Amino acid sequence: MKGAVDIAWWMLASGYLLMFIPLAIFRYYRSGLEKATVWAVIRMTVQLLLVGLYLEYIFKWDSPLINFTWVFVMTIVASYTVIKRTGLRLRMFFVPVLLSTLASIVLIDYYFLGFVIGLKNIFTARYFIPITGMLLGNSLKNVIIALDSFFRRIDDEQITYRWELANGATRSEALLPFMRFALKKAFNPLIATTAIMGLISLPGMMTGQILGGSDPMVAVKYQIMILVVIFSSTSLNVWLTIIFSERVAFDGFDNLRREIFSGHR
Amino acid sequence: MIEFENVSLNWDDRIIFRDLSFSVKPGEKVALVGESGSGKSTLLNLIPGFIPHFRGKIVVDGLILNATNVHAIRQKLAYVPQALQFTVFPTVKSLFFTPFSFVYNRKLKPDRKVVRMLFERFELSTDLLNRSVKEISGGQKQRILLAGALLLKRPVLLLDEPTSALNKEIKQAVADYILGLKDVTVIAATHDEYWMKKSDKILEIKNLHG
Ligand SMILES: Nc1ncnc2c1ncn2[C@@H]1O[C@H](COP(=O)(O)OP(=O)(O)O)[C@@H](O)[C@H]1O
Ligand SMILES: [Mg+2]
Repeated sequence: MKGAVDIAWWMLASGYLLMFIPLAIFRYYRSGLEKATVWAVIRMTVQLLLVGLYLEYIFKWDSPLINFTWVFVMTIVASYTVIKRTGLRLRMFFVPVLLSTLASIVLIDYYFLGFVIGLKNIFTARYFIPITGMLLGNSLKNVIIALDSFFRRIDDEQITYRWELANGATRSEALLPFMRFALKKAFNPLIATTAIMGLISLPGMMTGQILGGSDPMVAVKYQIMILVVIFSSTSLNVWLTIIFSERVAFDGFDNLRREIFSGHR
Repeated sequence: MIEFENVSLNWDDRIIFRDLSFSVKPGEKVALVGESGSGKSTLLNLIPGFIPHFRGKIVVDGLILNATNVHAIRQKLAYVPQALQFTVFPTVKSLFFTPFSFVYNRKLKPDRKVVRMLFERFELSTDLLNRSVKEISGGQKQRILLAGALLLKRPVLLLDEPTSALNKEIKQAVADYILGLKDVTVIAATHDEYWMKKSDKILEIKNLHG
């Protein structure tokens, strides 16, 4: 089997013409989205080209140390992105988010690549890097939603949280309804998309693999595993993130520190 | 039972309390009164340690309020805030029974009969338990929280405007019942004349920050 037809560079350029459709619409309605759109597409292009360049070398060298370093850097960027998007204070949440993200990908990668796929060396670039990238990319959104809804809801419903504490709850007992709320918020959409997978959308990875020349059944098997792996690593990541964050977010009296929100002085 | 010794509190630069001292004897019923914004809710929130940045000394049943004692102090209290919010609980039932799911309160979980009796006393229907928290009125929510607090059998009750959302007849029934509890110390922020009349002591909070 051979891979997909390569796209010639000038053809790639012609593909960008498609962007004139959104730009024309945005322009017509004076939505003010044009500049941000152009900027986003430029960033996307540059970042992916850099990744392509990087990956060519990383695959060539295929050194566990370099691979791990690469993943570590991705984890740092992911943690940074998560916290920035939640509006929580970077200085307080960086370590908890980084640790939980690392812990969840290490554990899940180890099980999936080492056991399910059965690789001798789980750091093999061709598997380790794309799989970890998928795990990170796909859990970002859920971690953001979970963290944000957890802490914001405690802040919004401070009366409820205090009511629980002053009526005999330990901190974790008092946080239980908020944990439930955050889990529902973060996972309801993922459960819904998982349930309709394949009906109205073909997941990107499977499509890519088929274009890349794989047998559809092989692609499907990978896709199924990937979805399971994403689901479980996301849940682990969300849970650990909240657990680890609790340590920095409350004072010695179990009160939520107002300084956790970056808008707060 | 509760002592404040020279308690001062600022929010940012505004002074809320300056050298506030008073004490409440066991079983005493104290009405906290003062204009809106004078600091009644703030005072109630000081006792369970929700505002740790005060100066001075607060003692509850011999325990000085600090990070070490705060849990032991909270275990002596039942607290009913103003009945806003609570929408993180899906149903009234989960709201009402949540305190009894805490390990410390497990043995106090009421059976159906006790719940029905208490609800009747507060003119609540037990059908409310199946409603969503968003669907009940402020007054209903308030009475549900009061009923729950009473079942915790704590020596100290902290109540924030406990009758503010109730109509006149229920107001009196609730005041008579709660202020008639012997051995229970009750501190309640209130505007309710009847509640004040029935209390042992009125503590007026002066507006210090203008
Ligand atoms: N978290 C807070 N941060 C800053 N100021 C607050 C906070 N909570 C209450 N205040 C201020 O403290 C004062 C007393 O409020 P409060 O105790 O709610 O009054 P009351 O219950 O008597 O109406 C008010 O001026 C209020 O704006
Ligand atoms: Mg108040």
